[in-house]
Amino acid sequence: MKYGQLFFQYAAQYMKTRLTYRTDMMVEIGSDLLSQAVNFLFILLVFGHTTAISGWSRDEIIFIYGFFLVPFAIFGAFFNIWDFNERYIVKGEMDRILTRPIHSLFQIVIERMELESLFGVVTGMAVMVYAGSRLDVSLAWYDPFLFVLLVLGGTLVYAAIFVLIASISFWSDSPTSIMPMMYNIGNYGRYPVNIYNNIIRFLLTWVLPFAFVGVYPAAYFLGRTEWYTYAFLTPVIGVAFFAFAVVMWNVGVTKYRGAGN
Amino acid sequence: MENMIEVKELRKEFKSHSSRSGLKGAFRDLLTRNYKIVPAVNDITFSVKPGEMVGYIGENGAGKSTSIKMLTGILTPTSGIVRVNGMDPHKEREQFVRSIGVVFGQRSQLWWDIAVQESFRLLKKVYNVPDDVYNTHMNHVIESLDIGPLLDKPVRKLSLGQRMRCELAAALLHNPPLLFLDEPTIGLDVLVKLKIREFLKEMNAKYNTTVLLTTHDLSDIEALCERVVMLDEGKIIYDGQLDSLRSNWGEGKQIEFQFADTAVTKQNLQPLLAELDAAWSPGERQNVWVANVLNDEHVISEVIGRVVSAHKITDLKVHEISIEDIIRNIYEEGVTNG
Repeated sequence: MKYGQLFFQYAAQYMKTRLTYRTDMMVEIGSDLLSQAVNFLFILLVFGHTTAISGWSRDEIIFIYGFFLVPFAIFGAFFNIWDFNERYIVKGEMDRILTRPIHSLFQIVIERMELESLFGVVTGMAVMVYAGSRLDVSLAWYDPFLFVLLVLGGTLVYAAIFVLIASISFWSDSPTSIMPMMYNIGNYGRYPVNIYNNIIRFLLTWVLPFAFVGVYPAAYFLGRTEWYTYAFLTPVIGVAFFAFAVVMWNVGVTKYRGAGN
Repeated sequence: MENMIEVKELRKEFKSHSSRSGLKGAFRDLLTRNYKIVPAVNDITFSVKPGEMVGYIGENGAGKSTSIKMLTGILTPTSGIVRVNGMDPHKEREQFVRSIGVVFGQRSQLWWDIAVQESFRLLKKVYNVPDDVYNTHMNHVIESLDIGPLLDKPVRKLSLGQRMRCELAAALLHNPPLLFLDEPTIGLDVLVKLKIREFLKEMNAKYNTTVLLTTHDLSDIEALCERVVMLDEGKIIYDGQLDSLRSNWGEGKQIEFQFADTAVTKQNLQPLLAELDAAWSPGERQNVWVANVLNDEHVISEVIGRVVSAHKITDLKVHEISIEDIIRNIYEEGVTNG
């Protein structure tokens, strides 16, 4: 498929650019690995003091946190649209995007990818392996496939919410302050939702469904059967929200006012 | 043959809110806002035939950029019909933009950090240009624009002139039948300008490429375009041949005399033009006077003869009224005999 080919072309170009700045790349990889290691230690330290909350053991909470890191890392690698308003609307870069024969959102995704965020996947896996081994999580043959599916679902949820917020830029001039807030709210998905009150739980499930990035899918691997319905809803919610976000984006593009020059 | 660009009653309105003054005004703005609907492009109608090179001119804020953005599918029109190359630019955007090339002088199409040829390679993928077509066409473009030696340099290391030539090559990579150029020669030196003009003429002759050009540099328009469309406050105020613009508004000539005697005044010059279709206007300096005359050999000779025999002069120049003057006059006085 053409979009797939383009994706790899851009990814190859991205790596090439990175490779030309050798020292820069080394430093960056080094700092990425270091920050992931710090992250990992931080998680263990923070959760070292927790015991069970609302029926979740310490290791289960760590596992959820680890799972969350995986879709979050993929999201971070491909959906760098937190500065969409300044970069594309205010500076008028959107003009250029719109004169090319590829879907505008896809262009922004491939233009702005930051593959080094994918190191987060490694950290997430490490955290899950650590917690999983202590919990004796057993995996069936189909679990790796389900894992990919649930991770993709979670990534789409995250992406959808940020695409929706970016789309607001087409109508209004200043939604930038919402972006950092969303990153904060997104963090709620890292913890079991039933520790929150019902309203927040409802919000995190159906309005800003960050719970589908962490707790719900992770619950499947922890064998928490009471959450299975939610776990299996993850890909559905992901696809539905993302489709909705793309529709809003497309409507937004027709409202694009351009930057004066 | 069908028109390349067909625009009917095209209109684009922007809603802008006018803020009240002062802190008190700012609080009132929070509650109720005064919105004003401003038409940036006000029901314009025109068409462009395949192979034409059209100059699209107007002052800043006349609606040039807005209308070009509607023609290229970037903005959605408020109302009216746009057909470009047989398509609706906004509705069929992805299909449509394959058939156009765009150069925005102030904005780069190329990737800042990577070598020019890498940018070309990505664009080739984006536009899905087959290898053999790409090779023959682009080799020619690269040669004509003389950018061969620049291909392996990153864009950020290029000078403006070099970059602009690369931009042009990038816009023509998929050999589009229609090219939009928005200020392509802004800030460029004369040699680069000439090279770009030559190249555009060549493309037009070879591929019958239609070109719509906006620029503030009217010499570009004079060198390239036979036809101009002039905009003012969102309306087309002139659409026609560049030549007839000159013959309608720029019939006369200006004869500039620099007198040896600084005491020359309008009063003592006035009788010299008696019975002739001419008038004096003050020149740029104190002892310089300009006679505005009809473009007629008898009148011109007569004026020069009379003045030279009556006063001592140190310099004499005959100007044709430039397109720039004509256009300035049109904007200042409005179109009266259009």
